[in-house]
Amino acid sequence: MPWVETFARYLHGTRLSWAVAGGYQWIWPLCETLHFIGMGLLVGIVGVLDLRMLGIGKRLVPGPFERLIPWAIGGFLLNLVTGFLFFTGDPSQYIHNTVFWLKLLFILLAGINALLFYATGIARRVDVLGPGDDAPLSAKVIAATSLALWIGVIYWGRMLPFLGGAF
Amino acid sequence: MDLLRAVENSGFGIWVRESGSVWSYPTIIFLHAVGLTFVAGVNAAMDLRLLGFAPRLPVTSMAGLFPVMWVGFWINALSGVALLIADASTMMVSWVFWVKMAAIALAVVNLIVIRRLMFVDVPESGIARDIVPVRVKMLAGTSLLFWTAALTAGRLTAYLGAGALAKGSH
Repeated sequence: MPWVETFARYLHGTRLSWAVAGGYQWIWPLCETLHFIGMGLLVGIVGVLDLRMLGIGKRLVPGPFERLIPWAIGGFLLNLVTGFLFFTGDPSQYIHNTVFWLKLLFILLAGINALLFYATGIARRVDVLGPGDDAPLSAKVIAATSLALWIGVIYWGRMLPFLGGAF
Repeated sequence: MDLLRAVENSGFGIWVRESGSVWSYPTIIFLHAVGLTFVAGVNAAMDLRLLGFAPRLPVTSMAGLFPVMWVGFWINALSGVALLIADASTMMVSWVFWVKMAAIALAVVNLIVIRRLMFVDVPESGIARDIVPVRVKMLAGTSLLFWTAALTAGRLTAYLGAGALAKGSH
């Protein structure tokens, strides 16, 4: 994909790239910390909903709990921004890294899975569940897929330095 | 210090740190991130409810989250001990590491107090407990603060204190 190379080379030449890569030494640790906070918010909140659909903590009523989803989206956006900054700091170590592309693929699949949850009407069937009610099988499939994908995203993220050789 | 070096250079310590196996340091640090999500992330969800977000969610219906948080906590206690063994002589003298330990201790005590005040001896309906007292809201705020501090200090062990000298940058 030549446009990726071109984009990477452009980013690497920016002052932002210089700043993130060590021009200001506090930027990288700060972004890492924020990236973990975003991860906790996103996977913590989505994870609770997934576990509830799978039958763990069944007294929790999913409908009202979903009002916390904006916080999970906030965590995701925080990670999108900080992730982009990591990428900007040294694009070449990511674009030639299979683990990085696997991480992006898993994020994309998790996004599609979430879209399916809402678009297929499964979310509406989950919203009306009362305390202790069993979620429909379709919701359980979505929930298990979501948990597996998000934990997979964390896995690929953590493996970047070990399997892919980034930092 | 001799003892810490002995721990660090035990067979297990060397395996975690130097074996190069995906199952050693990389997998342990991955589990540490998953545990973080389930103890601090799930606790944050509970704290947000106690602070007044998602107000239609009955507070006591979150009781089932405690086992999830404890699983996350123990994943991290065990993976954390493994990581500590591998880096004992560095971490035990790192002030940032001890800030992290203190923040975790405070966060756990905070969680136990919240459990006592909001979740123990609650009638099945639990409706009476849906009004969150101001002191519990304050505890939810300190909970978010302690977990954020623990996570931040954990990240910074690689950049500040003894760990920074040991590893260099990143």
